[in-house]
Amino acid sequence: MNVRETRLIVISPASHITPDQLTRTIHAMGKNVTVKESCYGAVIEGEKEVVREVISEVRKLDVNGIFSKVRAFRVADPRRCRAHHGTRPGFAQLEQEWEDLWKIHRGLDRTDKGEKASVRTERKKLSVEGFKRICEVK
Amino acid sequence: MKIFIDPPNSLILYDLVERFGHEPLSTMAAIQEKIDRTEIDMPPMNVSLEDVMKGLKYAGIEVPSGVRGRLAVWGPMIEDAEAAIIMEDCPYSFGCVGCHRTNLMVRYLIKRKGIPVLDVNYPNDEDEGKDIVAKIKEFLEGLK
Repeated sequence: MNVRETRLIVISPASHITPDQLTRTIHAMGKNVTVKESCYGAVIEGEKEVVREVISEVRKLDVNGIFSKVRAFRVADPRRCRAHHGTRPGFAQLEQEWEDLWKIHRGLDRTDKGEKASVRTERKKLSVEGFKRICEVK
Repeated sequence: MKIFIDPPNSLILYDLVERFGHEPLSTMAAIQEKIDRTEIDMPPMNVSLEDVMKGLKYAGIEVPSGVRGRLAVWGPMIEDAEAAIIMEDCPYSFGCVGCHRTNLMVRYLIKRKGIPVLDVNYPNDEDEGKDIVAKIKEFLEGLK
């Protein structure tokens, strides 16, 4: 039995790729997948192997700027699709992570150049005096 | 290797784990199974009797149903996991006592399992983004 896979392809805000370019590129591949353009990138669905092929191919547009994760619900599932007034309980999280994807994008670029994790000092608790300085307007 | 990610539906962690050649264990895959096989009306809001029983394995009957419901999905994933990555201070990962207790319980279950764990903080700037990527890369390459 062929297992279906639905995936979100999310473009980093720092990438030069647009959702339109992404969707057109996937269409041009001629693979047997459903593609839906969205504000953050695209949603694709098809057989697992084909979807994986498409993802690895489409990543070549911007290796460090295109991200993806699987989605449980099918493309245009009436329980999730906005056209059917579906709910999007996970969208707040996706939106937040999309906003911060440029940090990971730049992080991947810098790691590719050989940069390592810096040793950071632990964050300390705010002292009472420090808290008073913030609160009290003098 | 199978890597449990926390938050279990994080795009950042899912992508990075896959990018560095491992299999992320995510909520999405677990929910997909319920959609495709059992055809539950509105997973994860609606659950089956089997889910309730699974949840009881990780938390007692007196624990709020929200905690047990979440653990019914995440508990078996933690059991399958060979390593875990936990991202702390996520701006979207907060909520009522039920959500918070579940997060604590998940961390406890991971620690109790004794698998390799990497703790990272949600990135607040570019340098922290680089740190997260470098730490995850190093951790995952070390597992091979």
